[in-house]
Amino acid sequence: MSTENVSGPTIVLGVIGSDCHAVGNAILYRVFSEAGFNVVNLGVMVSQDEYIDAAIETNAKAILVSSLYGQGELDCEGLRERCIERGIDDILLYVGGNLVIGKVDYAQTEAKFKKMGYDRVFTPESDLNEVIKLLYADIKERFGE
Amino acid sequence: MTAAYGKAYISDADFFAEREEVLKTWPTGSDVDLDEAVAYHRTISDDKKFTEALKKAAEEGRVLVQPRAGVALVDEHIELLQKLAAEADLLPTTIDAYTRLNHYEEAQKGIERSVAAGKSLLNGFPAVNHGVKECRRVVEAVSRPLQVRHGTPDARLLAEITLAAGFTSFEGGGISYNIPYAKKAPLELSVKTWQYVDRLCGYYESKGIRINREPFGPLTGSLVPPCVSTSVAILEGLLALEQGVRCVTVGYGQLGNLVQDVAAVISLRELCDEYFRKFGFENYQLTTVLHQWMGGFPEDEAKAFAVISWGGAIAALAKATKVIVKTPHEARGIPTAEANLQGIKATKQIVNMLAEQHLLREDSLQNEVELIKKEVRCILDRVFELGEGDFAKACVRAFASGVLDVPFAPSRFNKGKLMPVRDSSGAVRILDWAGTPATDEVREFHRRCVEERGVSEGRKPSYHMLIDDIYAVSKGRLVGCRR
Repeated sequence: MSTENVSGPTIVLGVIGSDCHAVGNAILYRVFSEAGFNVVNLGVMVSQDEYIDAAIETNAKAILVSSLYGQGELDCEGLRERCIERGIDDILLYVGGNLVIGKVDYAQTEAKFKKMGYDRVFTPESDLNEVIKLLYADIKERFGE
Repeated sequence: MTAAYGKAYISDADFFAEREEVLKTWPTGSDVDLDEAVAYHRTISDDKKFTEALKKAAEEGRVLVQPRAGVALVDEHIELLQKLAAEADLLPTTIDAYTRLNHYEEAQKGIERSVAAGKSLLNGFPAVNHGVKECRRVVEAVSRPLQVRHGTPDARLLAEITLAAGFTSFEGGGISYNIPYAKKAPLELSVKTWQYVDRLCGYYESKGIRINREPFGPLTGSLVPPCVSTSVAILEGLLALEQGVRCVTVGYGQLGNLVQDVAAVISLRELCDEYFRKFGFENYQLTTVLHQWMGGFPEDEAKAFAVISWGGAIAALAKATKVIVKTPHEARGIPTAEANLQGIKATKQIVNMLAEQHLLREDSLQNEVELIKKEVRCILDRVFELGEGDFAKACVRAFASGVLDVPFAPSRFNKGKLMPVRDSSGAVRILDWAGTPATDEVREFHRRCVEERGVSEGRKPSYHMLIDDIYAVSKGRLVGCRR
């Protein structure tokens, strides 16, 4: 687990399930750190409970879930319910990557993951600067910070 | 230095004792009968044997075309492979990510959920859960040689089941299926379990059944310098030969610069021969495979076809024995059968058009071949020193000390300090060698290449330049532009 002492909001980052795609994770860690977030990076192959443990431990405002290998649908289901069970009901959940098997229309995937309780859903092509703006705005709206 | 090497052959007693434990790790293991499997392989016709297809292609100077493909359920998997057989020379069975980590319970849930959903929710074929009989249904339903492709640090049971079912080729290795694919699997363990896989293939070989073994060349597929991937391929080739394997296909992932890519395949082939002989191995069958660009792809399908075709061109000009194809859906993950077929067709068109053409061994190509050879010899000299007569130890110690270091690998057992970057012509050079050894002359060459790009772009070469390179192909270029 790698963190740096910065004053910005704390977020938890990681690639979920049995997914070993490490390149995007390394880049996200750099980009969000440079944007002022205190990033707790769990790396690849992260279980739902590992995200939640880290979020509780560091009082994180958001969990950023990546999945690139297609099995995201199986891995991501139930994360919101698990957060509620563990008492972090209002934490922001972002998810991005190639989330389902096959080339599926983005709107369909977005609807599926929003129904699972994710606040925002991104593709691999999403502009990271836009994501950073959204994340700051969402944190401000939800936590007033 | 070479004298003590090559003597870690697993004895029959040790092999069969370990085998008993391996087969107990999931219920389907009890269906594996080695004698029956050998007898079954004797009934497989030559046109369905991987080794025969490779041998013939190498003799004729043809490039064989092979896709990646695998879905959760047997009948759907058969249907998928039968569709691909219309164009592909060789067929795969790509294994799902749960099976790769030996999470068979999760794979079982994935199978059940896929049945309920009416479509595959797994990113591959869970061969262990399906077992010998069901896997054999796949082998018997398709008309081409079949290979198991995966990313499994401990593939012992997967190998037992699929080889017994009649697969004739098995991809992977103790380094190449750990460092890029796992986070916590100790290298010492993965190398050891892969020695078992090689010993199993060696057992088949001793019964006259030749199984093709293919170390996974591209590693993380993220700007891995040719000297790093070539060193790993040679080590895994040696580990396989030591356990009795006699048919090895070594691989390389296209990086994008024509001269560097062709030079990398040529030097890979020549260096393997050099080292295999140096350690006393003879009478092996050596072939090469080129993997089309393994990094991020353009979302636009027409642009993706350009990347696919460029990879096909490299395979043809480098005279690789086979090429592993990407698809126009690559930017979005798992392709449909139709998209997969399109990738195969685009590739076949270009490899056939270039079949008669040779790149002259002009200076720039020859210089690049010599450069890679110098780099690899320098790295491997140190690796073999560290191993003190044992290939497995050499691998483990080389990664622990950073002598071997793969960029962007998820494994904790990889230092991750070596930093590549492209030069102005798109060839991958090394910005920071970290613990990897190189001669002063080689370091100076890389430094000059990188410096030249920095000057032409008016910026200092850094991690930012590397990130731009990582995204470049998906954004329509080879050399990354400043964002």
